[in-house]
Amino acid sequence: MGTYLLRRLFLLIPTVIGMTFLIFMLIASSKGGIGAAIAFSSGAGQAKGESAALQRARLEDRYGLDSPVVVQYGRWIGRVSPVKFGTRDQVSPAGERFREPRSMKDPPLWEWFVDALPEPDAPKELPGKDAEEQVKRDAYRQASNDFAAARVDHVRARTEFELAAGTLLRETGHRDAVESDGTVILGLAKRIEPDKSHALWADVEQKAKVMLDTYKATISNKATLDASFATKPFPESGWGLIPGVLWLDAPDLGYSYSRSTPVINEIAKALPYTLMLNLAAFPIIYLIAVPSGILSATHRGSWIDVTSGSLFVALWSIPVVWAGVLAIGFLANDKYLGMFPVSGLHDNDAANYLMLPSWGENGFERGYLLDTLWHLCLPVACIVYGGFAILSKQTRAAMLENFTMDYVRTAKAKGVDGGSIVMRHVFRNSLLPIITMFVTVFPATLAGSVVIERIFSIPGMGSMIIDAIFLRDTEILLSNSLIIGIVNVVALLLADILYAMADPRITYK
Amino acid sequence: MPATTPSSAVTATRTSPSASKLDESVPLLRVADLAVSFDNGKGPRIQAVDGVRMTIYPRQTLAVVGESGCGKSVTAMSTMQLVPRPPGRFDRGAAFFNHNGKSVNLLTLSEREMQQFRGSEIAMIFQEPMTSLNPVYTIGDQILEAILLHQNVKLDEAIEIAVRAMDDVGIPDPRSRLSDYPHQFSGGMRQRVMIAMALACDPVLLLADEPTTALDVTIQAQILELLRKLQNDRGMGMMLITHDLGVVAENADVVCVMYAGRVVEYGTVFEVFKHPLHPYTRGLFASIPKMHEHRRRLVTINQIVDNLDEFKKLPGASDGVRPWWPWHDPPKDIRPKPGPAGDYYLQEVSKDHWVGVWRTAAVSDHESPPPDLAYRISDDPEAPSKKK
Repeated sequence: MGTYLLRRLFLLIPTVIGMTFLIFMLIASSKGGIGAAIAFSSGAGQAKGESAALQRARLEDRYGLDSPVVVQYGRWIGRVSPVKFGTRDQVSPAGERFREPRSMKDPPLWEWFVDALPEPDAPKELPGKDAEEQVKRDAYRQASNDFAAARVDHVRARTEFELAAGTLLRETGHRDAVESDGTVILGLAKRIEPDKSHALWADVEQKAKVMLDTYKATISNKATLDASFATKPFPESGWGLIPGVLWLDAPDLGYSYSRSTPVINEIAKALPYTLMLNLAAFPIIYLIAVPSGILSATHRGSWIDVTSGSLFVALWSIPVVWAGVLAIGFLANDKYLGMFPVSGLHDNDAANYLMLPSWGENGFERGYLLDTLWHLCLPVACIVYGGFAILSKQTRAAMLENFTMDYVRTAKAKGVDGGSIVMRHVFRNSLLPIITMFVTVFPATLAGSVVIERIFSIPGMGSMIIDAIFLRDTEILLSNSLIIGIVNVVALLLADILYAMADPRITYK
Repeated sequence: MPATTPSSAVTATRTSPSASKLDESVPLLRVADLAVSFDNGKGPRIQAVDGVRMTIYPRQTLAVVGESGCGKSVTAMSTMQLVPRPPGRFDRGAAFFNHNGKSVNLLTLSEREMQQFRGSEIAMIFQEPMTSLNPVYTIGDQILEAILLHQNVKLDEAIEIAVRAMDDVGIPDPRSRLSDYPHQFSGGMRQRVMIAMALACDPVLLLADEPTTALDVTIQAQILELLRKLQNDRGMGMMLITHDLGVVAENADVVCVMYAGRVVEYGTVFEVFKHPLHPYTRGLFASIPKMHEHRRRLVTINQIVDNLDEFKKLPGASDGVRPWWPWHDPPKDIRPKPGPAGDYYLQEVSKDHWVGVWRTAAVSDHESPPPDLAYRISDDPEAPSKKK
């Protein structure tokens, strides 16, 4: 059993990798690619001409969005993976992770102007190993800022050069090497011999010089930054296994583009709402559906069976959108019954409430707990009502199947009474489909119910995912897919363990 | 129809054959004119059993023989009220059980009263040892369930009883095997567990519904040997349902041949085997291949029962006594009594030998006693071969 579980847990890794890869590729293959949302939110989407190109170049440089999709995916999975290779991340006092600076890309079309790229200057003098912490930190921060500034200069020079080179190429009859938006197709342009006699050449040459100068400045600054990173001015994160090669660390889910906060914080905010909703709903579903399924089986064909069966199927057939709107319209609207709150999970001033109900100066005060319960009523009812049918029918079918088994006759011949036969013998053998049902709905606990959270304005996981989809917030989407995927796999594993507990014939070797 | 004992007179006190000596001259079970039918949805009700009569005495084995669907199992299950109702229904008849000298009609007991008989007084073994045990409970759980239900003992005493019961049926290392699950046992071992479970509460009557059909021949012999030994030790009565005539010859004291829900022949094992009187019984025996005969084809039952001359061989045939056979038109001189099985009659054709006949003019005013044989081979000094 132990080995089996371990093997199943290891199988989780390829499963999660395959799943996130598919999702990553889906996002990447949609229009705009992985970074569409940032490009849009930072203004690159609306901007035209030169400023757009500049904006885009800066973003690509910062987020590495110009790398091939597979490389981007590899970078993402490396960040998320708890097992990490290479140099350890360092954590700033604010909790932000500092990574080793990414390698610089070669400037475009440098082959036109120089035979070899410039070498970086020797790194600036850095405080030694024995220097004070504060000095090392200052040195690192200085190097980091210098590098960022130089990089911005370089990106600007590079973009201007590219535009000029593009114009030249178009003028000299190399239209095929230039995209419609003015960007040069580097692979093609590299092989073209530029027309040095053209009037525009001087401008291009001048911009290339600036670009190469800024390039040299940038790589020189990067060398300094590399060196100061290597002195480790900040504490290292994670737990090292082999120094410089292998280390373990908590997964880094990244920053949400749309909300500019760490994704993990967003999830930590949304998850309790969804958990509360579902943890309230699931016991209700099970406590009603399973007993009614048992009753339907023991009183097969009676009014209990027919009534519960048709009622549950009728409920199941009501679309949740409609039910939610009706519930708000009739039960929550002040013009009708107005018995329940319209939205949210707490009153506006719930933070000032006492925990328990009490009699205060203004009469009865319901307190925080009761207020939450009161707000939960309608959304939980909407989650619950459709869940009875399938579980109840499954229980009924399993019970009926087991009622005809030989061991039931044996138990009866032993003199076991009817109640014990139903609960001890038949129900115990009917547990497997109930477990299966549990597993299929369990991951939904984390994913949240998108529709219900929307209708009742509950800021849970479902709301977060739908927002992330609209805003194309890749980081939140990927993190959520990752979490839901892991929960699914773990739920399946849990089901296997429960199966083995419910049925001794099932063993894992 | 005899008056039934009021079911409320049933008490929960247990009798164990070892504790109080059974009166061997009183039948443990007397099935009288039992008729059971089943609802068939749209069609007419299916009459599974009609007019069945039989008795079982202590220390006696009654073998009920017949082909599939002839009503053997329904008869046995009816006496324990294990026939699902609906669709089943008891149309007529009674099953009188001798409970501490009082005769109790098992068919009229309420479910709660019946539970006190099931397992403790009457136990049943089923055909399918593979599926008759609950797969999710250990053997120990299932045997203990029966013991704790019927005997007023503590858990550790119950465990001792279970261990002894498993030891009795020859399960090696019974104490450790109590915590094993049914799937960890072979088919033969599972049937032994079933027997141990059935006998753990010292029942006075055991209904063995084809206990060896699903087992291979060597295991079959072991199980039957075991049942015979346990029966002799405890003095219980046993109804052995089978369609294996070899098993009947080896184990039965009295044989009851059934066909289409009726008893067609009833007598001691020697009578029935030596002088089968009903053509169907003769057909059954003729269809057994014999070692010393060389035949290209086996005799089929149809070859016998399709031959009208066979029906005229019955003693008294010249007087108009005709063996009952469902596929024949009733004889011209039939004078049925009112009721569904009124044209059928179980007549004592010769001493201690009953045959199902048509109620023709010859037997219309004749009332022979219902089949009642206290015969046991072990008590018979003239028996050709005594049982071991």
